[in-house]
Amino acid sequence: MGWGGSPGGGMLTQIKLHDFRCFETLEVEIAPGVQFFTGDNAQGKTSILEAACVLLRLASPRSPTLTPLIRQEARGFALQGYWGSRQLQFYHSAERRKLVLDGVEQSGTAEYLRAARLVYFSNTDVELVRGPADGRRRFLDFLGSQIEPLYRSSLRAYERALRSRNRLLKAVPVRWREVEAYDTPLLDAGRLLTDLRRSLVAELVPWAASAQAAIRTEAATGGPEALSLQYQPGAGEDFAARLRESREEEARLRQTRVGPHRDDLSLCLGGQPVGVYGSEGQQRTTALALKLAQARLLEAVWKQPPLLLLDDIFGELDVTRRNALLNALPTNAQQLITTTHLDWLRDAPSGPIWRLAGRRLEGTI
Amino acid sequence: MRRIDYPEPLQRLVAQLKRMPGIGPRSAERIALWLVGTGRQEASRGREIAETMLENAAKVRPCDRCGFFTIATPCEICRDESRADGPLCVVEQATDIIPLERTGVFKGRYHALGGRLAPLDHVGPEDLTIDRLLERVKEEGATEIILALGADVEGEATAQYLAGLLREFPELNVTRIAQGLPAGGGLESADELTLSRAMTGRVLLSK
Repeated sequence: MGWGGSPGGGMLTQIKLHDFRCFETLEVEIAPGVQFFTGDNAQGKTSILEAACVLLRLASPRSPTLTPLIRQEARGFALQGYWGSRQLQFYHSAERRKLVLDGVEQSGTAEYLRAARLVYFSNTDVELVRGPADGRRRFLDFLGSQIEPLYRSSLRAYERALRSRNRLLKAVPVRWREVEAYDTPLLDAGRLLTDLRRSLVAELVPWAASAQAAIRTEAATGGPEALSLQYQPGAGEDFAARLRESREEEARLRQTRVGPHRDDLSLCLGGQPVGVYGSEGQQRTTALALKLAQARLLEAVWKQPPLLLLDDIFGELDVTRRNALLNALPTNAQQLITTTHLDWLRDAPSGPIWRLAGRRLEGTI
Repeated sequence: MRRIDYPEPLQRLVAQLKRMPGIGPRSAERIALWLVGTGRQEASRGREIAETMLENAAKVRPCDRCGFFTIATPCEICRDESRADGPLCVVEQATDIIPLERTGVFKGRYHALGGRLAPLDHVGPEDLTIDRLLERVKEEGATEIILALGADVEGEATAQYLAGLLREFPELNVTRIAQGLPAGGGLESADELTLSRAMTGRVLLSK
């Protein structure tokens, strides 16, 4: 699976924001290694990390669509940055979007997205463990599309077939011949997506288990149980058969009932679902382990660590777990870390510290 | 002081020209100024174009049988006795016929659907010329329907829909054009989906 190797060096060196979230314009020069963004709440620390994620992956970790990211009163936002020697530019408005890679406007996303990899750690990651399944599917999708180019295209095709089919199931009366015409594209894209997610989870399993072992503290786990991940395909073992069998239910509920849009990723400690039976500490550790596993797998595939965006996750950890996590992060990875309080920074790795106040960045310490 | 814009007839001309595909406000203005010109010669080229438009645009219409552009039904393709009666090639749009004709590979007749099934764009079977296709199959004694539709989700669904309807003709072969690598290109120039489909649709060379 994957492309392997790496085109161009893997580091974000500069990012410019224009009409993005609360910023009219902001330019940040980014150093290799670790750096911190501090400042009070609502100053836009998270927006800088979000901008990096949107620029490099065309997706926000905080919003399913990009239009809410446009600064109020502006028509659209523009992001620009350098990843190694590659220049990326992204403009988005309600009517139009434009992708430019190394000065060349792109007609598709494939080449552009091939440029950079990243992992986004957020203080709401625990929802991956206790929240609904769509968060876990998005976790897989975000990772999968950074590893396997077919992933994004099959996901897009599946979503389009699914939305078309659901639209047809809403018609009164339902015209089944048309619904069935959409079975084939749904099954084709769905089987491909199922296979891709299945092998993605298989690759993730050892990394998740070792990440969990590295960062758990005895107090938090209460035992040396290993984290196990299992892919639960919403298409079952035979998608075509399941789809046929679900006709009656589809007629009643007027939507497609089986398929990868119902996939889940089960997370267990000692055979018990963490989201249900795990302690607060176990749930937080598991969420971190998943993100760490994502970073480790990307590093293994690309022979180079991804960019790590860590949004306000250290402040709430105790010293032991904080250090365990810092030690478990891929070494040499570039890290952008936001934090409100500085008291824990004494024992953190050294790096530039930016202070954000009044929409401006102030010098490094 | 009153600010002056172009006189009203010129503005109206610009507004109409802007309605044409590919013509933005700047181009519309340029064309309008060119048409207006100053001398006798310019006036006559405006008239020439206007007359050609009036005279010809109304003459061309879709062939009632196959949907291709024509001045009289049946169109030149449908009338052509030298074309084979057996195979009928189904395309989404009448414009898709031209590239197929340029290959010179296909010797039969065509049927343009006028679109494809696209529930997200509110296009259903009643918006396409599917009924006429079924009539043609009966009347013209087709032996093979070649579906030359797009390789995306909607193209695939439309192909499946038609294949379902055409099953009521047991003697009829329904085929779909192959998908794969563009000619003259190496593997590295193909996108992943194309390449994976090319792999699925591989051809046996020797056993």
